Amino acid sequence: MAETEKTAAATKGNQPLALFAAAAGWLVPGLGHLLLGKWGKALGYFVAVASLAIVGLKLRGDVFTSGGDAFGTLGFLADLGAGVFYFLAHRIEAAGPDVSRAAGDYGTRLIATAGVLNLLCVLEAFQIGLHRDGKS
Amino acid sequence: MLNHFQIMLIFALAVSLAFALLSKQRAGERALYFLWAFLGFMAVAIGIGWLMYPFSR
Repeated sequence: MAETEKTAAATKGNQPLALFAAAAGWLVPGLGHLLLGKWGKALGYFVAVASLAIVGLKLRGDVFTSGGDAFGTLGFLADLGAGVFYFLAHRIEAAGPDVSRAAGDYGTRLIATAGVLNLLCVLEAFQIGLHRDGKS
Repeated sequence: MLNHFQIMLIFALAVSLAFALLSKQRAGERALYFLWAFLGFMAVAIGIGWLMYPFSR
């Protein structure tokens, strides 16, 4: 009986910590890992996601908003994954998107890549948090 | 303004870095994975560029 409870507790893990780390990691890339004490990974993920998002925005890539067609919705979900860079898009590049040039089209892809990469990092932060017992 | 090659370089560096951190746990393995992923991205992109070159005219 005790063994069953132990297994159930281990499977459930530290869900509040995992969810907090995932939410923090989504909002600011790498922050989830930073809160979990993974300094190197946090820095690496921030550099990777921030460089893609900032370069993409500076190239005047398109930032999707909700309410479009199916592809627009997928683009919106990918872009939203970049967290703070999605919300600050208009501050980073005040001129807005311009996909009439090839550079703008590349920028659109870079922003989406930043978002999807950050979502992968969020999933990893969630997994690491889930396996923390809360004592360490 | 960045040219197309520089944009590709930044993309390959950032994605290789994230993939290396996500998929490998040891520093040596990560460095090797990063290098191979980066070189792979560059080789494939330049290779496809050369293949497409005759159709660009």
